[in-house]
Amino acid sequence: MVSTSSTTGTIKSVYIANRGEIARRIARTCDRLGIRAVAGTDSFLDPAAQVAAAVAAGADAVHPGYGFLSENAGFARAVAAAGLTWIGPMPEVIERMGRKDAAREIAAAAGVPVVPTGASAGSATDLFPVLVKAAAGGGGKGMRIVRTAAELDEAVAAAGREAKAAFGDDTILIEKYVERGRHIEVQLLGDTHGTVIHMGTRECSVQRRHQKVIEEAPAPGLDDDLLEQMHDAAVRLGKAVQYTNAGTVEFLLDADTGDFYFLEMNTRLQVEHRVTELYTGVDLVHLQLEVASGRPIDLGPDPFFYGSSIEARIYAEDAWHGFLPQAGRASLVRWPEATVVDHDLVSGQVVSTAFDPMLGKVVVHGDDRETARLALVQALDDTVILGLTTNVGFLRQLAASEEFATPGTIDTAWLDRTEPTPPDPAPARELAALLWQQAHAPTTGPFAADGFRIGGPPAPVRVDFEDGSVTLPGGHAPGTAGGAGRMTSAIVTAHGVELSHHGQRYVFERPDAAADHGMEAGDGTVVAPMPGTVLDVRVAEGHTVAAGDVLGVVEAMKMELALKAPYDGVVTAVMAVTGRQVALGDALFTVEAIDD
Amino acid sequence: MTSLEELTVELRERLARVREGGSEAARKKHTDRGKLLPRERVDRLLDPGSPFLEIAPLAAFGMYGKEGDDYAVPSAGVIAGIGRVEGRECLVLANDATVKGGTYYPMTVKKHLRAQTIAAENHLPCIYLVDSGGAFLPMQDDVFPDKEHFGRIFFNQANMSAKRIPQLAAVMGSCTAGGAYVPAMSDETVIVRNQGTIFLGGPPLVKAATGEVVTAEELGGGDVHARTSGVVDHLAEDDAHALQILRGIVGTLPEGRLDTASPGGSAYSTTEAFDVEEPHEPPESLYDVVPASTRTPYDVREVIRRLVDGSRLQEFKQLYGETLVCGFAKIHGYPVGIVANNGILFSESSLKGAHFVELCNQRGIPLLFLQNITGFMVGKDYENRGIARDGAKLVTAVACSVVPKLTVVIGGSFGAGNYGMCGRAYDPRFLWMWPNARISVMGGDQAANVLATVAGREDDPDVEEFKAPIREQYETQGSPYYATARLWDDGVIDPADTRRVLGMALAVTANAPVPEPSYGIFRM
Repeated sequence: MVSTSSTTGTIKSVYIANRGEIARRIARTCDRLGIRAVAGTDSFLDPAAQVAAAVAAGADAVHPGYGFLSENAGFARAVAAAGLTWIGPMPEVIERMGRKDAAREIAAAAGVPVVPTGASAGSATDLFPVLVKAAAGGGGKGMRIVRTAAELDEAVAAAGREAKAAFGDDTILIEKYVERGRHIEVQLLGDTHGTVIHMGTRECSVQRRHQKVIEEAPAPGLDDDLLEQMHDAAVRLGKAVQYTNAGTVEFLLDADTGDFYFLEMNTRLQVEHRVTELYTGVDLVHLQLEVASGRPIDLGPDPFFYGSSIEARIYAEDAWHGFLPQAGRASLVRWPEATVVDHDLVSGQVVSTAFDPMLGKVVVHGDDRETARLALVQALDDTVILGLTTNVGFLRQLAASEEFATPGTIDTAWLDRTEPTPPDPAPARELAALLWQQAHAPTTGPFAADGFRIGGPPAPVRVDFEDGSVTLPGGHAPGTAGGAGRMTSAIVTAHGVELSHHGQRYVFERPDAAADHGMEAGDGTVVAPMPGTVLDVRVAEGHTVAAGDVLGVVEAMKMELALKAPYDGVVTAVMAVTGRQVALGDALFTVEAIDD
Repeated sequence: MTSLEELTVELRERLARVREGGSEAARKKHTDRGKLLPRERVDRLLDPGSPFLEIAPLAAFGMYGKEGDDYAVPSAGVIAGIGRVEGRECLVLANDATVKGGTYYPMTVKKHLRAQTIAAENHLPCIYLVDSGGAFLPMQDDVFPDKEHFGRIFFNQANMSAKRIPQLAAVMGSCTAGGAYVPAMSDETVIVRNQGTIFLGGPPLVKAATGEVVTAEELGGGDVHARTSGVVDHLAEDDAHALQILRGIVGTLPEGRLDTASPGGSAYSTTEAFDVEEPHEPPESLYDVVPASTRTPYDVREVIRRLVDGSRLQEFKQLYGETLVCGFAKIHGYPVGIVANNGILFSESSLKGAHFVELCNQRGIPLLFLQNITGFMVGKDYENRGIARDGAKLVTAVACSVVPKLTVVIGGSFGAGNYGMCGRAYDPRFLWMWPNARISVMGGDQAANVLATVAGREDDPDVEEFKAPIREQYETQGSPYYATARLWDDGVIDPADTRRVLGMALAVTANAPVPEPSYGIFRM
């Protein structure tokens, strides 16, 4: 075996072949240790360019972070070939564990449980329910769940036909289907002296379409016996491949039976390594640098395995509207204090959909899981990102949910089958009203906004927003009311209030007084705006149209004028005929509004 | 004698009653059509929480109804007052269609004109929320023909517009005949679709005149006027939208004073309303220091110290003409020269008052008159020494005064004292009464005695029978409710509200420039 880890001793300068929060996180440890950290330059997917940049920067080691080239064996080899230290496992190990089928065989050989499979229908009878899937497959094509033997033959045949059609290969795999699976993983660390240790478990069952959302260490609600079995299995696998540096063994835990199965191994630092660090009190990047330098693992006197740590990933996405990616300028960013936050987002930064949507992660620790959970709720309450929509409010709601509060109830498909409900905006709107008043209404003087009426009770103070009104009690001017500001950060302008409430971003707009909705108020007859010729008629009677939809086009004075639906409605009459001359004001279409 | 506090309780009850507007049935009919009640319209037009300095809410009180029905035409069927829209003080006038269809009684016209006068004098944009059937036809002779009648409304609109005082209207209901000119004469006009109508003659009149059968909406609805006739400029979906558009229009007005093209501050310097020291006594303590009867003397300084910032009064000529207290103070940060009766007016107090009024004009400081006056001293001695001459000096000074004047009748307002102390005829920018106030040319007893003497019946054994109805007439007509019903004032106010009301008024008056002072002949 060729050792690619340099054993020449101390690392003095680390090139970080990554960006964002992980680059900052690695640099932080380097700074603490007095090691020069070199920020990577772009083209993080180009191994040659990265090696060249590292060499040019005079670095003596390369940390790949996660993503990009972190699990690229070729890159690891290129780094070593350039005479630099690769901070990660050996390229051969990256390669072998990177192939799922190979990794599965290695695990099985090491006595690590793997998901039982049956090569044929006959051999699968004791596994039900089973998943029937195409060997060449992907994307769910040809995949079906079978619960009884009676259905199996038919299902295999059907899956085969689909697989044949889709992939040209009708080879079918049958494996045990875990109804409620939890994603449990074990953090490993190996050194070049043959030591492989585990650093406890993590649970990452809260995930959406395989994207982890909330992770924690240790996996909650598991008995010591089971934990020990999983730790042992992971270490056995690590030792079997002579694993060096940090890595993670992922298991699927059947929540109903307590059986667990090897899924895959990640040969790098994980996004969620921070919960392990808080749970164990060690600095994993520091340990990575140590073992990469050839030193044996020495955990020192740090406390080991204490309390509970939870991490929430902040994404630029709209959780309430199909998790659509969001972009924009983060006009105001406030990360919670008194907790660990890894992020690369500050006020004023522009977030683009072209990059990884993860903006940062908020990590908490508590003496026990419930304490940690409540700390997470608080931390998310205190997380403010304005300017673009993020999932902070959604995370906050998750963290506060009964399901999350009860350890072990969430499986990996839970989030996919649970329709998230946005929080009631009313309390946030009330805060917005108060903030708007405090910012814009006179608080003192004879015209103080207290609703004063001569010889009678004060008028209620009504603040209108586009999506609803708030009535504040009259009788005192804003500013003396108090209450606002707590758990809130806001941008208040004359036109509205953008605020964060329980992590959720809201934009409340004042009615646009300057806007004249005359068009909307009009009758639904769309007339020729100029004398000309009808070029195109795009709707017919009975069509449903939305405001702004083009109904037809008139050419006049060398201009093509689009005739648009004045509001949402149904086309009740089409008078326009393609090619026909029309006079100014000729009625061409009628749209009738749809009554609410 | 009822205490001032009890009189105030009665005032608040009466105000609460008129604020309901028309009958429950009329209000229900109004809201069932999706219309907002007029006071709600005002509230939603104003900035959230804006105070509203309502003008003459008890106008027409005790008028036009059957005996004992004081509320036949609450608030004279129109709500008027000053509040802030988009941070700017505006005059708002809203017809109450739940009161006789919002038609104009004589007092409705008078109140409308009074509100316009306030707007003109203080340079306040006017916002008319129109929902009126026009003149109340049975009383057309008191509504239509005279100088200060219906037509004056449009005369005022044209002339205010000429003075750059914006005239804005929203047609939120009918707007018929003469009323059609309110939106038509406005600078910018909004109409509510399927609700507001404008026409010179309504469908019945059209049918009678020409036989044409037409619906109100076809004749003068929102779409017609916004798209075809051009009578209005903005089309609104509903009341709330119309009010929003009006707010938008006010928001587009240039900042600062209306009379100058350049942004300017207030007409006179103020310390801004911040960090103002409140009076040392709570306003409610006025109920305890002011006797309910105008016959019981008390020191008016007790009133002043409950109205002014920090209870501080810089007195002028404290030792001379002691029956008139003059001095400088601030109210909500606005400087003000106070002239307050503390007894009958003598020559000295008149001269002192005239001097002080001149001082305020010289310095551009608004004047506040606290009126509690039974009159000038009478008798041979005084007449021979020319008290009329000295009284005339005070009246001349007050009449020619150019700084804003505010008058509060805190007690009696009798005879020529009313003139010297800036009664209604002397154009105070605002005049209010307290619920204990009395106003008449002289007291009921004096009038009865004088008339008995003139009739030669002072020695009749049944002279009391002669005098009683005279006293009763004076008693009735001297009431502040009789006065406010007829727009002799801008409202009867709770004494405890006085400081706030004065503060708002001072802020309002600061919108108009103060010209250079000049006077008529002071008889020496």
